[in-house]
Amino acid sequence: MEKLMEIAKKVSDKVEIYSLEKTENGIVFENAKLKDIDSKLQSGFSLRIIKDGKLGFAFTKNLIDREEFVQNALDSLKGGVEAKFNLPLTKDLPKLQTYDPSIETLTNTEIVDECNRICDILSPKTNGQINLYAGSEVDKIRLINSNGTDLSTESSFYYNYTSIMYPGGYSSISRVVTYKHFEKTPDECLNYILNTYNQASKEVTPKGGKMKVLFLPETLYVLMWRLWFATSGKSLYEKQSPISERLGKKIFDKKLTIYNNPLYDRMPGARSFDDEGSPCQHFLILENGVLKNFYYDLNYSNKLNKKSTGHGFRSAAWGGDSITIKPTPFLSHLYIKPGDKSFSELVKSIDRGIIIAGALGAHSGNIPNGDFSIGLNPALYIENGEIVGYVKDSMAAGNIYKVMKKVIAIEDTFYPAHSGTYPSILFDNVSVSTKS
Amino acid sequence: MLDKLKSIISKVDANYSDIRYETKKETKIIFNGEELNQIGSNITDGYVIRILKNGGLSSIAFTKEVDAEKAISNALENATLIARNVEKPIELAKTEVIKDTFLPELKEDPRMISIDEKLEITQKYNGIPLKHNGISTTTTQYLEVIREKYYVNNEGSEIREDLITTRIFGTIISKDGNLIQNVRAGVGGSNGFALLRDKEEEFEKKTNIVLDLLKANPVKGGVYNVILNPSIAGVFTHEAFGHFSEADLIEDSPTMREKMQLGAKLGSDALNIIDDPTTPDQLGFYKYDDEGVKARSTKLLEYGVLVGRLHSRRTAASFEEHLTGHCVAEDYRFAPIIRMGNIFIQPGRKTFEELLAELDDGLYILDSKGGQTSGENFTFGAQYAYIVKDGKLGKMIRDINISGNLYKTLQNITLIGNDLDLCKIGGCGKGQLNIRSCHGAPHIIIKDVIIGGM
Repeated sequence: MEKLMEIAKKVSDKVEIYSLEKTENGIVFENAKLKDIDSKLQSGFSLRIIKDGKLGFAFTKNLIDREEFVQNALDSLKGGVEAKFNLPLTKDLPKLQTYDPSIETLTNTEIVDECNRICDILSPKTNGQINLYAGSEVDKIRLINSNGTDLSTESSFYYNYTSIMYPGGYSSISRVVTYKHFEKTPDECLNYILNTYNQASKEVTPKGGKMKVLFLPETLYVLMWRLWFATSGKSLYEKQSPISERLGKKIFDKKLTIYNNPLYDRMPGARSFDDEGSPCQHFLILENGVLKNFYYDLNYSNKLNKKSTGHGFRSAAWGGDSITIKPTPFLSHLYIKPGDKSFSELVKSIDRGIIIAGALGAHSGNIPNGDFSIGLNPALYIENGEIVGYVKDSMAAGNIYKVMKKVIAIEDTFYPAHSGTYPSILFDNVSVSTKS
Repeated sequence: MLDKLKSIISKVDANYSDIRYETKKETKIIFNGEELNQIGSNITDGYVIRILKNGGLSSIAFTKEVDAEKAISNALENATLIARNVEKPIELAKTEVIKDTFLPELKEDPRMISIDEKLEITQKYNGIPLKHNGISTTTTQYLEVIREKYYVNNEGSEIREDLITTRIFGTIISKDGNLIQNVRAGVGGSNGFALLRDKEEEFEKKTNIVLDLLKANPVKGGVYNVILNPSIAGVFTHEAFGHFSEADLIEDSPTMREKMQLGAKLGSDALNIIDDPTTPDQLGFYKYDDEGVKARSTKLLEYGVLVGRLHSRRTAASFEEHLTGHCVAEDYRFAPIIRMGNIFIQPGRKTFEELLAELDDGLYILDSKGGQTSGENFTFGAQYAYIVKDGKLGKMIRDINISGNLYKTLQNITLIGNDLDLCKIGGCGKGQLNIRSCHGAPHIIIKDVIIGGM
């Protein structure tokens, strides 16, 4: 990387090199039986150069011909993509505990044994089909720039995603556990999945209408994607955010506090710097319902005369290979602050309503407007504080700027889930369409 | 390269092994509004090895040639672990040994077109909406993906094939006060750069629609009879039925397998569905899949009866059904999985006007905004729709999302138009992205569809 830096520096004003090395093992159990083991050894380099205020960008998997790699970035300068931002000099960052060396000796056999253990516990107690996705991963990132920044981080991950499936499809009750090292899935987690599934094992067909709706951690991404969009510096710059004028104003219910915290290293994947070398921070998006901040990377903060908030990440909505993606504003470690009700208290408080345990089609619909309209996959129907069955062929729809104003209560614990770590949240008066 | 690959897998001590090496050249030009956000071409590459040993099948993807030995020992270890844990040893269906080089015929090779010309045409289409008041911004992307694939297996197959995909697509966004609307616009395909030329009309048409949407009312949630236009009927075919005909998705689900037995009457008599990657000049065209099997046109539904499904060598063996050549990877980072190639509803006899008269009252729903499926349940979004009253098109409405159950909906397809149209832009995410996923249909009528309203 140093040689590459030397070559690139000679022909440009500013240089940034990002490298990623990744080792992954993924294990799939379907119907309580091992189905697949898939491994990946991936690496690559991403190069940004800035010359005369213009950006050059290139990436490669193998650093064989450094001159050619730099030339590729130089070629892309000709397009004239504006880049007026400076690369940061970042040092003396807090030391985070992101790597547990025991991950190196963790074998796939041990993970398979753990999956078999879970199947043995769940199988006798449920009629539902059991699927598991488990695995381990080690990521090494290094980032250097021509301003003297030289940062690196190594992260270890273990995850186990357990689900019990409803007949006829992929609709399920599920939960994931994630750690920096191998750890058995706690009984509490397995009991939650088992009890919730078993209480709702019968199909019911309730009437639609406006009702109380409990979003689980697993489905809150439907609402959060819309908030991500609205609070991004990119959306502000493109004048697409419907809340661009609402900073400091109350936009949601006062029970909602939402923040991005890459520094929280009890969870795996903590980061002290973003993918362009800006320091990460505990960052409030929303406090007690009041919009506190928009988030920026170097590029969009510069365009809007702000400072980067440390949110430049190489991520895309559909995953993708991070070395091939330029940093853009991204909420990498999103949390919703837990409330004061247990899950069972939340369920008991519902006279008539549904739990949304799975959602289909969160990406369609008018995201800039904050609208959502999702297939319930499944919903669990509640009457008089009891889960009475599961509902198919139904939809829930609304707009986050209306729905998130009507929070009844928030669960007292958060769980890692799709695109963030969330507690369950109970909303009032959400529109649900069913066939009856 | 093929010789190098042969030499790498010659060291593997297993019943079966294959290796795929690919280079992937991506050219991207991205506009956000009038501003150019990204431009450039990059080449990445990597290997995927698959090993079958004693009934265990495992795969590994790696990017450094020096990692080959480590990768092989890793995959062998995983295959052995699987073999120890499966009840029934995994087998691969027999297939012919193929030695072939297939480079598709192109109407203008994008590799021969300068990046300046690509920039110019992208900028031209991006500029069409931006001329109008009421358009707040656009995202327009030129994407060219050139995959050069080299495939070798220990049965003797040696295949070299190129897949070339080009497209210009994006989102057009309109705004009035706090109301924001968006539609998608795009052109593209798999047979060369020429199909990107002279397509101003697509961007003009979509600009008018997104401006009209600012004046449209939201749909009221409920159950409707609907006509789907070919674009969204194609997405329906892909999402609701197509994924269910991918054998790997139902292989280990006893409840789904029970419903999806060949011979089951799933749809109305009017319904015939085929997946045919071999038709030239459509987005999903390929000759060999990523396990070296020749792609075949596969009848899935005939007069509403399930007559076939899409297979890999593994599932064809386990279901004891014919190979179809549908096991495809996104790129060198992935082992192949079963994907649709080009799925469509065969056209019937009715004109669009006849469908409107038959519908009488309901909704005419147009153009997809993405969909998702989970076994028998599906949801997908539409860009816009019109109210139909007494067989006549009325006011435009917005915020359309459709949800339903596969079996009920297939039975509720009552009438099929004569105007088959295949999509030009694909994008199916089943763990991996498939930008060449092609689907299509004529106009169709579906009864009793759930529409989620606000």
